Amino acid sequence: MARNTLRACGALLAAAVALVSAPAFAQDIVLGASVQLTGPVANTGRYYKDAYEFAVDKINAAGGVKIGSEKRKLALKLYDNQSDVNLSVRQYTQLVSRDKVNLLLGPFASNFALADSAVSEKYRIPMVQGGGASDQIFSRKFKYIFGTLAPASNYFGSTVAMLKQLDPAPKTIALLYADDAFDVSVAQGTRSLLKKAGLDVVLDERYSSNATDFNSLLSRIKSVHADAVLVAGHETEILNFVRQAKSLAVAPKMYSFTVGVPSEDFRKALGKDANFAFGMTAWLPNASLKDRWFGDAAQFAAAYKAKYGYDPDYHAASGVADVEALAQAIENAGSVDPQKVRDAIAKLNFPSLYGTIAFAQDGQIDLPQVVIQVQGEKVVAIFGGSGFVEKPKYPMPAWDAR
Amino acid sequence: MRVLRIGLILAVTVVLAALPLFGSDVLIQFGINTLLLAVLAQGWNIIGGYTGYASFGNSVFYGLGSYGVGIAMVQWNLPFAAGLILGGVLAIAFAFLLGIPVLRLKGHYFAIATLALAQVMSAIVSNVSIAGQNIGLVLPPLNNDYLFYELSLGLLIIATLTVAWLTRSRFGFGLIAIRENEEGAAVMGVNTTLYKVLAFALSGLFTALAGGIHAYWITFIDPESAFDISLNVKMIIMTVFGGPGTLIGPVFGAFVLSAISEVLSSEVTNVAGLFFGVVVVAAVVLMPRGIADVMRHFRSSGWRYFIENLRAHRI
Amino acid sequence: MDLLAQVLINGVLLGGLYAVMALGLALVWGVLNIVNLAHGAFIMLGAYLAWYFYAYLGIDPFIGLPLTAIVMFCLGYVMQRSLLNLIVRAPMFNTLLITFGLEVVLTYLAQLFFSADFRTINPPYAGNSIAIGPLVVPLVRLMAFAVALVLTLGMWLFLLHTKLGRAIRATAQNLVAARLYGVAPRHLYAVTFGIGIGLAGAAGSLYGTVSQINPYIGATLTAKCFAISIIGGLDNPLGVLVGGLVLGIIESLTVLYVGATFGDVASFGILVLVLVIRPSGLLGKTA
Repeated sequence: MARNTLRACGALLAAAVALVSAPAFAQDIVLGASVQLTGPVANTGRYYKDAYEFAVDKINAAGGVKIGSEKRKLALKLYDNQSDVNLSVRQYTQLVSRDKVNLLLGPFASNFALADSAVSEKYRIPMVQGGGASDQIFSRKFKYIFGTLAPASNYFGSTVAMLKQLDPAPKTIALLYADDAFDVSVAQGTRSLLKKAGLDVVLDERYSSNATDFNSLLSRIKSVHADAVLVAGHETEILNFVRQAKSLAVAPKMYSFTVGVPSEDFRKALGKDANFAFGMTAWLPNASLKDRWFGDAAQFAAAYKAKYGYDPDYHAASGVADVEALAQAIENAGSVDPQKVRDAIAKLNFPSLYGTIAFAQDGQIDLPQVVIQVQGEKVVAIFGGSGFVEKPKYPMPAWDAR
Repeated sequence: MRVLRIGLILAVTVVLAALPLFGSDVLIQFGINTLLLAVLAQGWNIIGGYTGYASFGNSVFYGLGSYGVGIAMVQWNLPFAAGLILGGVLAIAFAFLLGIPVLRLKGHYFAIATLALAQVMSAIVSNVSIAGQNIGLVLPPLNNDYLFYELSLGLLIIATLTVAWLTRSRFGFGLIAIRENEEGAAVMGVNTTLYKVLAFALSGLFTALAGGIHAYWITFIDPESAFDISLNVKMIIMTVFGGPGTLIGPVFGAFVLSAISEVLSSEVTNVAGLFFGVVVVAAVVLMPRGIADVMRHFRSSGWRYFIENLRAHRI
Repeated sequence: MDLLAQVLINGVLLGGLYAVMALGLALVWGVLNIVNLAHGAFIMLGAYLAWYFYAYLGIDPFIGLPLTAIVMFCLGYVMQRSLLNLIVRAPMFNTLLITFGLEVVLTYLAQLFFSADFRTINPPYAGNSIAIGPLVVPLVRLMAFAVALVLTLGMWLFLLHTKLGRAIRATAQNLVAARLYGVAPRHLYAVTFGIGIGLAGAAGSLYGTVSQINPYIGATLTAKCFAISIIGGLDNPLGVLVGGLVLGIIESLTVLYVGATFGDVASFGILVLVLVIRPSGLLGKTA
């Protein structure tokens, strides 16, 4: 029994020693992040790993970050949080207190950003994240969290504006949303947008995240004859929604989804069934978006595809924007001191492949969403700030008429 | 021997208590996490190890404790202690109300019933607006890991002392009797229903308090993380690994497995999950009665211990 | 009225799919007393297998169902023979723990080989439906329902009326006596588990056509299958069909009348009720 206890002490002390040892301090500026590389949300989480690495490599290839008269390279320290929020929080604490990284990059998903930003605030190290858009993240008056995703409440902003200009204009709207932080935020914002636009919401239903069966909801949509269906959810849910809509022969005049449409993976999985679906993105690989390191967004997209084998969507662009924001802020501040960099980030205003990077008072970027639609093999930008860019394929034909 | 043993345990306790003074932030965080897991394991030990009712849903108490603290602090602006009390009360009430029907089941059925209860509670809470529905609650931040560490350690000490008291009290003997032969125990005059429910409530109370501390420490709870199903497996595996029905076994199991898991997650991050799964499978096959049992028999049987285990359990 | 009828149809068809998913779990649990927490992971593997057959070899998921089932049977046989046979006579929750560990390993390996991308099995008829008046009956779900009926009846006939089936049940009830009769228990256990996994594979094939596949669908599927098995009762394969139907219909009605976030409350709530009131399930024999 005593031996047992002795071994317990030994085990504990060994673990203690292993964890107390600190790594040597490097000349590189280290950016730390805990991202979902495995686990249920890994299929989007890995976009951030790829994006962060791509951006860091590109900036280093151009010489790195200029502080005063010397140039320093960026380094990345990434952990896999296995899609577990609690682990993510511990990993960020580890990045800050043991690995002593200089600055932080964010995880994917609003609930992760919400929990992890508590760490950046506690240790006063700025975190720029491109994965969380929920209003909650930015309403706590934290000073060290910045976000490059546009506010959740405005995701359907341009879509609603477009609805009024379609012909024949949809009168009845069905609004479906998952019950997580981001989608509830989207629904709240969309509700008031729809009300202001004078549209009639005939179905307003919250569903469980990770739901796989939408048959009942689809049957309800059919029975209330909704003209337009707006869904705020996750890619797996939307995939199921579309497939089941087809098998139940539910074809409203149009449907629009907060996620999925911009991503190649999603469109491939649906094949032809993805046709006519509307979505939105705050980013398209336009050559008009000039960038200091990548030339412009189109060149970036081509280089990214060449390296990783898939087209980047707004997640990837957002991730790259985070790294660029930090790099630019370090140069503007002329130091890596967290406080100075934080202040520099708050004052940023520069063009990039993602658009103009400038953060509002609460730390969130404000970019308008562009309405996009799947038309055959391509994703086409349809409606932006200044009206129609392309003609939408509207109304959506019945499933058996395609 | 006895004095030596108690002395060693006291020494370890003092070292653990003093850890925040010389440990790094990461170590303290790891410590808090491990201590809370050890509390869960010890709590499970009461109902699973001593009473023989393997609950697969103790995570429900963890969630109740978390939400007790969350609701009290966020919605009613009460202090942390009040939240802990609320969590504890919820857990005990739950154990009594639902324990009575569920504890009539045996073996698999009891395990599944508790698991189902955990799922139901999680699903219900994600619809309750005072609990923030599926978005959860954001608690007021408190940047004081020392406090959480000492609280967790204190809770573990209380839990372990409770189990120690159990091993020499009439109540404890009653539980062991229920585990070994429930009908016999009833015949001998043990009020099996009362004892089982009390054990369930006690187990739930510790689990809930651990959940409450965790909630305040992490400052963010939502149904998925508060009623985390994987905790059930963790606490069982830690207890089984360390030795169910023993005093230090669950604590030991918790420390060792946590250390392995944390080191894997931070160093070999890719295979962390895989390795953990393999460790679980290997442990169940080779040492189903835990490390405590290995220790006890290794001296006499050596490596044959593992082979004998295999022979005893396979067909 | 139309809406209710449509939702009921949805529920029944969903129930059929649920029944196929749970059949393997109920078989292995009821007969071998092995509670397989990795069952959902095997369904996931079956789905990937069927996807592979369809995407690379062009084999239709329904026609290829027996093929998927046979491959999964072999996998299950090997798994039982090499690993699970080692803990058959150990305390009950050892099987829970070992199958949990197995689930973790299988999920991890799936993520390694197939990445986190989602896949769908999309044969050209996947979205078709049959219209009966104002009601719409999705074709694939109807076919899955038919498969469910065939498999359940098949299992019932097999277990109760064939020599092998009776041998399996005998071995599970009394190992020593079975040995005395010349039965080879290790082989029989492995065959039974193999059948269970083969059924999981078939379910995966259907699931992939109806929903989407990614390495993480295992855990939720296992939970559902548990509920179905218990509600229906473990003694009788027909019970699984009943359990599936009950769950499918109640879930669909809950979404319609209570709210789309209450599905889990309903399913697990029923599970708790059944366990507390009638643990042997709706079709099980009361002890």
